[in-house]
Amino acid sequence: MAALSGGGPWRRGWLPALQLVRHGSKAVTRHWKAMHFQRQKLMAVTEYLAPKPLIPEQCLPPKKEVVKEAEEDNGYVRLLRRLVAEAFRDNRMIVVCQYNPMPNEDMLLMRHYLRKHNIEVKFFLNEIVRPVLSQSKYKNLLPLFVGRNILLVSPETKVKEMLRVLKGVPQINLLGACIDDTILSKKGVENFAKLPSLEASQGQTVGALALLPSQTCSLLQRGSVHLTALLDEYIKQLQAGAEATAGSPTKPALSQSSEAH
Amino acid sequence: MWQRLGRPLAAGGGPGGTLVPRAGLKKYVLPPDYSDVTLPERPKLKFMDKVPAVPKVRREPRRLRDIRGPSSEATEFSQGQYGILALGGGYLHWGHFEMIRLTIGRCMDPKTMFAVWRVPAPYKPITRKSLGHRMGGGKGPIDHYVTAVKSGRLVVEVGGRCEFGEVKHFLTQVARKLPFPAVAVSRDTLQRMQKEEEEKQLNNQNPWTFERIITANMLGMRKYLSPYDLRFKGRYWGKFFLKHRV
Repeated sequence: MAALSGGGPWRRGWLPALQLVRHGSKAVTRHWKAMHFQRQKLMAVTEYLAPKPLIPEQCLPPKKEVVKEAEEDNGYVRLLRRLVAEAFRDNRMIVVCQYNPMPNEDMLLMRHYLRKHNIEVKFFLNEIVRPVLSQSKYKNLLPLFVGRNILLVSPETKVKEMLRVLKGVPQINLLGACIDDTILSKKGVENFAKLPSLEASQGQTVGALALLPSQTCSLLQRGSVHLTALLDEYIKQLQAGAEATAGSPTKPALSQSSEAH
Repeated sequence: MWQRLGRPLAAGGGPGGTLVPRAGLKKYVLPPDYSDVTLPERPKLKFMDKVPAVPKVRREPRRLRDIRGPSSEATEFSQGQYGILALGGGYLHWGHFEMIRLTIGRCMDPKTMFAVWRVPAPYKPITRKSLGHRMGGGKGPIDHYVTAVKSGRLVVEVGGRCEFGEVKHFLTQVARKLPFPAVAVSRDTLQRMQKEEEEKQLNNQNPWTFERIITANMLGMRKYLSPYDLRFKGRYWGKFFLKHRV
């Protein structure tokens, strides 16, 4: 009935390409105008297909987009790295300990006791320490810098006092140390503590070395000293014999016996 | 369901033990530099008239083609850094203008931000017949005026000494209330959108594109399509903008 719009199609100038409209809805409508089925098919065929890689992204390790150069430009990072380098350079003893959370007052006390022995407690971030160490000669200390840790640094090597302080603090565990450019484990540090001090060991060495020369002197003098002792004994006995003969006539037996000796 | 960890567990903790997550070094970001930003004298949006200064005498035909298709003007930023982008066609009448003006005027800080219109005041007369009358009797009298907005056009622009995060909230509020789909954009986000569209066009795995089929008139498709579809390439349908299509 309404297949053709009123008198339209048979007018001159009718474009056969235009579809015969049934209801006369315009091109731009407020509602979503229903598409011709052919057009719907065309839209379905020409949809966007995203590129699919052979291995899906979920199966590959995640891409890390870390820009480390920007971090080094940061002045603060450079300062911290300089501090770390200084700590490693200026101190003879560097001890790496595991740091577990502990009450602030205990922490303060521990720092106080360590300060008395001229040991400083330093906190450094692993992400700063690791690049500094990897480029210096302390590469073998790198495995220690994982998780929360602190550095105890000191220009002297008072290991015994340090161990005593740390024994009283259960939250700080010794992991390793670098004393006089020698890397020591926990047992190594304990053995180091048991060693006598440098002065004592020096004295011991000197004493051991000087033992033989001192013996030489006494060896050489042994003959004459022995003779002197014997003569002294003899003199004493003669004197004793002379006193005995002056006291009673029975005494000469003793003097004779002493003479026989 | 299973949440993937953002970084591998063995990083730095392989032989040494498990990695306990903790905060790293704080990265101090410098605040943005607004030295080259000048605020205009009147930072708030200008009041738009309901009726133009010279009201139209002659009633105009509907001309819905001013809604159809992509916009050719005000598609790029001019003064501000952030704005509202129209993603569909429609008419803005005085009520919309007042809503935009008052909301943005209320939410922005005139000392640090300014806002600028990117659409003209209502100029197109819309006629309405009185209610309850039958068809016929000529065209109705002019009822109100509207502004036509095509998709891809910026409606308002906001700029000044502010970040997108501050401005985004009230711009999205306004965008939701508009008669067409709209979104709050900044210069960066707009550029990114355009780049993404270009990339999609380049890396489309489907060898059959709307443009290709229609320009070659494959399968006689042009019988069911309009000559405007040669221009719109399947991305526009009436006043709607089909964002997901390439």
